[in-house]
Amino acid sequence: MRKNKLTYTSAITELEKIVEEIESGEIDVDVLTEKAKRASELIKFCKDRLRNTQKEVEKTLIDIADPKAEEE
Amino acid sequence: MQPLSQEEQYSGLPVFTLSELNTSIKEALGLAFPESVWVVAEISEIRCNSKGHCYLELVEREEEETIAQIRANIWAYTFRGIASKFEKATGESLKQGMKVLLQVNVTFHEVYGLSLNVRDIDPTYSLGEMVRKKREIIDRLTKEGLLQLNKQIPLPLVPQKIAVISSVTAAGYGDFINHIVDNPYGYKIFHTLYHSAMQGQEAESSIISALRKIRGHKDLFDAVVIVRGGGSQIDLSCFDTYGLAVEVAQFPLPVITGIGHERDDTVADLVAHTKLKTPTAVAEFLLSGMSSFEERLSNAQRTLAHLIDESMKEETHRFQYLVQHFRHIVRDRFSGEMSRIEIVLHKLIHETTQSINSHNSSLKLDMSRIVGGLNKLFQQKENRIKHCGQALRLLDPVNVLKRGYSITYFKEKAVKDIATLQEGDIIRTRVYKGMVKSKVEALHAEE
Repeated sequence: MRKNKLTYTSAITELEKIVEEIESGEIDVDVLTEKAKRASELIKFCKDRLRNTQKEVEKTLIDIADPKAEEE
Repeated sequence: MQPLSQEEQYSGLPVFTLSELNTSIKEALGLAFPESVWVVAEISEIRCNSKGHCYLELVEREEEETIAQIRANIWAYTFRGIASKFEKATGESLKQGMKVLLQVNVTFHEVYGLSLNVRDIDPTYSLGEMVRKKREIIDRLTKEGLLQLNKQIPLPLVPQKIAVISSVTAAGYGDFINHIVDNPYGYKIFHTLYHSAMQGQEAESSIISALRKIRGHKDLFDAVVIVRGGGSQIDLSCFDTYGLAVEVAQFPLPVITGIGHERDDTVADLVAHTKLKTPTAVAEFLLSGMSSFEERLSNAQRTLAHLIDESMKEETHRFQYLVQHFRHIVRDRFSGEMSRIEIVLHKLIHETTQSINSHNSSLKLDMSRIVGGLNKLFQQKENRIKHCGQALRLLDPVNVLKRGYSITYFKEKAVKDIATLQEGDIIRTRVYKGMVKSKVEALHAEE
């Protein structure tokens, strides 16, 4: 699922495009289900990432941290 | 000028002891500068000792060249007053590189030599001087196109990876970290501290070197935050330097400042991507970015849910309408067909009945005729059969034989032509109730 690395920007862009498409009313009911599924995936991805630790990132940041910065 | 003792002469000139000379100098200076004077100078060095006395090195420069220099001192008691008045007015403590207007007494000490004793410093002059210098720097940055440079870098939608330039010991740093770690939304912000002195002589170069270290890892971060303790309102001049401004302006990531001051923005604030008053405000700003992003998400989610709900309802309605319509049409059609069928059926029944009736009556007529005809026919047939019977009886060979006819056989075959016989042939003749065997004696053919 995360082949093309999803970013916040690409996620929200895609999400808002889906909303627009559906708003325009030109979407078939069959496609609608698919789109709704994708939208909820995107929302979940963003909400998770806003709150959850990505271990790799944290680790890298600690590795490069200024030695004097060993706080917390 | 007279030497104090005139006992010694050398080559016609008076000879002094050093103390005599210095005393003379002191007196002469006292006469030349009977009162304090105001002097404009730049502080090239300043230090305070443990007793609170302050020692300065004052210079005048012309194009970086020192063209005058003198020592000065401020006694502890005076310094407290001067320093606090100065800080209150300018927001700065007295420091190296600053241009000041000092009220001084020119003093000469027999042992320590010439120095200026500072009685007062007029902060208004320094303030004006600082404003002018700052204006110059801003003008230069504007001319060089650096003022807006960092602002053009887009701040990521969700600034989640932050390089922090601050001092571990700075109160503002703690505020900032607490704020982003304990945020009520539960957002995760990755932060790394790049330690730097945030005030004093080395602050500028320290901040610059921190920025350069971050530059080496710029891909790991979304933004740089420069924060410094709240409360302390002084010593912001390091943020007013051209060197730091250039570094901030040209930085490849957005720089957000929270230097903790109430007065005019520093030059660093002006070139920064976003300037905020305090470290806490910076934290709030980052969090608000995240929460407004989440708000967008939630909006999209709500709109989607609504739209999907709507379009499902619409589809259901359409479907229901179709079903109803269909039912209607079918019913109409059905009842139409039914009545048509009924009409046809009625007609059919009617016609059939009629036709049956009419046929029936003609049938009855026919039947009597047929029966009549048949009877007659049967009669005729019977008569004919009777007749035939009679005829048949007449034709029976036995009856024929009875009536005197006979049949002659030669070689088991009935003789029908005389020509088949010859004289001497043995023939057999059937007669009524028997057979006659005879020999042909003569044959008489007849025409």
